[in-house]
Amino acid sequence: MSTTAIEPAPPPTRPRKRRSALRWHNTLRGWSFIAPNFIGFAALTLVPIIILFYVSLTEWGALGDPKWIGEENFTKLFTRDMRFRTALWNTLYYTIVHMPLTLVASLGLAVLLNRKMRGAAFFRTAAFFPYITSIVAIAMVWNLMFSPDYGPINQILRFFGVDNPPGWTVSSTWAMPAVIVVGTWREMGYYMLLFLAGLQTIPRELYEAATVDGAGAWSRFWHVTVPCLRPTTFFVTVMLTIGSMKVFDLVFVMTEGGPGRSTLVISQLIWQQAFAEGDFGYASAISVVLFAICLVLTLIQFWVNRRAER
Amino acid sequence: MKKTTLGMLTALATAGALTLAACGGGGGDESTTPAGGQTTSGAQASVDPGAEPVTLTLAGWSLETTPEFQVLADAFMAANSNVTIELKEYDANDYGTLMLADMAAGNAPDIITIKEAKALGQWVDGGQLLDVTDVVSALPANVSGAGSYTIDGVNYAAPYRQDSWVLFYNADLFSQAGVAVPDGSWTWDDYATAAKALTANLGGKKGAYEHSWQSTLQGFAQAQTPGADLGGGQDYSYLKPYYERVLDLQTSGAQETYGNITTNKLTYQGQFGKQEAAMMAMGSWYVATLITQQASGEADSFTWGMAPIPQYDSSTTGTDKVPVTFGDPTGLGINAGIDSSKVAAAKAFIAFAASDAAGEALAKIGILSSVSSDAVTAAYFAQAGIPTDELSKFAISTHDTRPENPQSPNIAAIQTALGEAHTAIMSGSSAIDDAIALATSTIQSEIG
Repeated sequence: MSTTAIEPAPPPTRPRKRRSALRWHNTLRGWSFIAPNFIGFAALTLVPIIILFYVSLTEWGALGDPKWIGEENFTKLFTRDMRFRTALWNTLYYTIVHMPLTLVASLGLAVLLNRKMRGAAFFRTAAFFPYITSIVAIAMVWNLMFSPDYGPINQILRFFGVDNPPGWTVSSTWAMPAVIVVGTWREMGYYMLLFLAGLQTIPRELYEAATVDGAGAWSRFWHVTVPCLRPTTFFVTVMLTIGSMKVFDLVFVMTEGGPGRSTLVISQLIWQQAFAEGDFGYASAISVVLFAICLVLTLIQFWVNRRAER
Repeated sequence: MKKTTLGMLTALATAGALTLAACGGGGGDESTTPAGGQTTSGAQASVDPGAEPVTLTLAGWSLETTPEFQVLADAFMAANSNVTIELKEYDANDYGTLMLADMAAGNAPDIITIKEAKALGQWVDGGQLLDVTDVVSALPANVSGAGSYTIDGVNYAAPYRQDSWVLFYNADLFSQAGVAVPDGSWTWDDYATAAKALTANLGGKKGAYEHSWQSTLQGFAQAQTPGADLGGGQDYSYLKPYYERVLDLQTSGAQETYGNITTNKLTYQGQFGKQEAAMMAMGSWYVATLITQQASGEADSFTWGMAPIPQYDSSTTGTDKVPVTFGDPTGLGINAGIDSSKVAAAKAFIAFAASDAAGEALAKIGILSSVSSDAVTAAYFAQAGIPTDELSKFAISTHDTRPENPQSPNIAAIQTALGEAHTAIMSGSSAIDDAIALATSTIQSEIG
């Protein structure tokens, strides 16, 4: 495409016609390949998103015609809705802790398992297991483990002399940390896989050269592995941030936002407003805000990444 | 090639338009439909036998394990040979969402079952339900629960089923502990005293089990406290004494803690059926479950009975008074978009579902009808495995059942806020006053 700009003096008329016909032909062919996917995307994602923006400015109970109310949903959201404020704070809390924790844990796992040792394949598979296990089963088992009186976690804590172990999922202070632990445990295997793929692309010679120059293991990690992994790290950071901001299933099956509203996150609030209270207009307004937050965070990450690339 | 692309673009545009139509369409049609059967009188429970054949569709859920829809349909079809009723099955857990989707697409069945009274307001706002005031006002006086479906004086559904909460007790555990079984005279304080006495004498078993649902506590406080106003959004301090009592029972070990119930996913069927607790407040739907589970061995076999639910104070206790309890009915409404030729048959069907005949048919399969009559009670207590003592019969047949979700435009938002208060208080995360204050201010900002 960009060749058009630097094309030299216009060639004689007939060949150009033929060439432009050829290009048109090729473009159409390209489109026809993309079309099946794009039609699906447009019908199931793009058009609904456009509708979402419209619905966010209306009052709509999913039945009948939406009633235009302008920015009223957003006014309520930012001035009166205390639950939204709590949900926003909880979501940021989850993201700020869960994102770096998962990043470090998955990178650590990847580095550990990126060596030729007996059973590496087994351990890689084991680390990936939580990601492919049903979230409902995960929540059930972790809830049992977190159980304040009979759960194994608190029994171990008591064994080590902690007299008043936390109530985990039934304590408003500890419910969010409990959810974060499970979220990290569940997702680190997936991001480990991405990091492993990234590690495979780092040339051996770099490590050899560094070793020859006298760099120790720690120094090789910081000065070879980390910089060479930057594209992967960037991708993982973006995906993790968006994923954390959108967290829903885990919270929903583990705590349903409770106790009180201590683990209520934005996605759950959207669900609650739309499907429990039947206010699809307001739910759409919250979705638009979540969309905007994710967009801004991603743009910042792109900007930081581009600066680092220079 | 060009042609193909054009075709694809057209397809794309059509797909987009369809999506738009699907989202915005349904209700639009509804609002232009004249309220079909306003002119037709439909209060009779049967249709003229010489009439044209009519096929009605009826919404139901989990048909395999919920035979009530088929029972009602069969009983009606037996009496009205020209009407055929076809069941449309929905998933029980997502019934509200699936029905909403069908309504939006203009696909909902002719007769819409109201599973949760909470959803009614949204459906009525969306113009989905026919005004059936004529049917409901013609129902006999012994039908209860219609008030749950009344918005601004208009009835939108007729109740066919009305469960209400009673106190289940394990007579064997009571005699083992040497505690007198409930006699119908209990207030909640008597209940708490008995729970503690039972726990002290049962060695490891609990005196009472209170399931983790919000309604298990708030439903009673709401129904029984004089002046309690759920929809008003002003004052929820009436919940406090109920919470104080239950927190005390939790701390003293007389009932399982909320934390253990939620994290270990305890089921009320397991706790009562396996004799982990000696008594439990639960909806009357549990009667049929317990009978089945005792027969199959899933529950232990022990002697059990039902007593009226403990009361707020002694003014409503004793078998010469009418105990106050709560429960939401299940009802049948009519799709506002129904073909006008079917309205008479549909109205006849929903009236039939709230009749003595339907009540007896339901009672035989262990379902409590919204109709209370001696015949219905007799049929209900003819089930094998049901306790037949006088107090159990009294508990099932005599009660003032208040709605769990009285109709109010903000009921769903109010219940959400009070639900948060429930989990905060029961888990001990928040003091009772703080949690109630937060819920109240949330509700006020929501309503305001």
